[in-house]
Amino acid sequence: MIIQGQNVMKTVGKDLVSLRIEIISISLIISSLAIVLSNWKKVPVSSHQAIVSSLVGSGFAFGVSVDVGILLKIVESWIVSPIGAFFLSILVYRILERGLARVPPLRAERYIRYLLLLSGSVIAYNTGANELATALGPVVYFGLLTPLQAAFMGAILLWAGAFMLSGRVVETIGKGITALDPFSGFAAQFGAGLSVLFFTTLGMPVSTTYCVIGSILGVGMLKSTRTAKSPFLRKIFLSWVITPFVALTLGYIFARLLF
Amino acid sequence: MFKGIRKILVGGEKEKEILDLIREHIEKLSEAAETLKIAIENNDPSLNYEICELERIGDVIRREIALRLYEGAFLPAVRAEFYRFSELVDESIDLIEDTSVYFSMMAGINPEIRDLCVRIAELNCKMVDYLYHAFDSLEKELDLTDKTIKLRAKEQEIDGLKREIHSKMVKIDIKSFWEGYILSNFLDNLVNISDKIEDAADVIQILNVSLR
Repeated sequence: MIIQGQNVMKTVGKDLVSLRIEIISISLIISSLAIVLSNWKKVPVSSHQAIVSSLVGSGFAFGVSVDVGILLKIVESWIVSPIGAFFLSILVYRILERGLARVPPLRAERYIRYLLLLSGSVIAYNTGANELATALGPVVYFGLLTPLQAAFMGAILLWAGAFMLSGRVVETIGKGITALDPFSGFAAQFGAGLSVLFFTTLGMPVSTTYCVIGSILGVGMLKSTRTAKSPFLRKIFLSWVITPFVALTLGYIFARLLF
Repeated sequence: MFKGIRKILVGGEKEKEILDLIREHIEKLSEAAETLKIAIENNDPSLNYEICELERIGDVIRREIALRLYEGAFLPAVRAEFYRFSELVDESIDLIEDTSVYFSMMAGINPEIRDLCVRIAELNCKMVDYLYHAFDSLEKELDLTDKTIKLRAKEQEIDGLKREIHSKMVKIDIKSFWEGYILSNFLDNLVNISDKIEDAADVIQILNVSLR
């Protein structure tokens, strides 16, 4: 968040909507409720979609200026980033396949352990640079917290969330879409990580969740189209489409009703 | 925490211990197969005691492997395969022990089938040898196919000998139910050892494929 989160924080916290404290409160409450509920229901929901959409919804309700051009760019990146992750994971898989074919199996196992650690680190870095920056961008740009305070607080709460509530989504992502071996797991995670990193550099708040799903699908499809479990995908796709509309509408209604 | 970081950067200690244990396990299998071969060749049922002792050591090694794997060696996705492998090696030693027990209960092997039984025992020893090399290759070589093919060829040879034994067995004069029962079980166990060894080789191949 400190090294590369500024771009995303600026997009969400400054460029998208003219902020008011009420808008930030509504947006963060709606998005946190959506995420807790979705984790409970074992459906991965993008915090970016919930935050950005509820910010825009309550922004419309308050009649403040909303930059539609930026909003369209963000929506575009929501569509492009999982597709990018899909192809990147395939590319990573192919490269790795060739590389590992040249080493004995047990050495390959050791390399995969290091590579999984690397891809996990990229995803963790992205979580700070993009996820946290999206959630805390409005708070920082409204002057409630300094970037350093936000980063520190975000890191602690991120750990607590992962510790207490992530298990159910881990189960959905790790087993629900397609069976993942360590090799495919790395390709999927790294492909998603690269895609998010690219959009983070552009300052776009994209969802790691959907990039990971796109890349798992990519690796799954590479093996066989039949390996992907379509009921799960349908559920995930619906959540991807519905979340922004629901969050936008709720943001608008809450802002109208409460203030 | 520092231990964890050290494990990540240097790593491989637990893995090395497990690989050494598995090698030791296969060596015990090899000793047991060799002892059974000598027992049949020399018609010496007293070697049964040695085989039982090897079986006991094999059990200890298998439990040790399970514990070390549980402590976190290797990626979780391949731990089950390593344990399955050690289980199959252990089951092979168990079968050798059973064969040896039945052998010790027999008053020698009928000359009609004796040479065939010795040949099967020899082939079992060869297969264990191939198994050891196939496992060793997981660390050193790119392609294990030739090793597992050799192993399968030996298993097919044993299947052929099994049919030959069965055709000769029906002509053997059996004096009591228990004599027939013991002979039948002895032969069944003797030929099943190779199946277990082949299954263990399949696990090596699965490990190989799953890490590609």
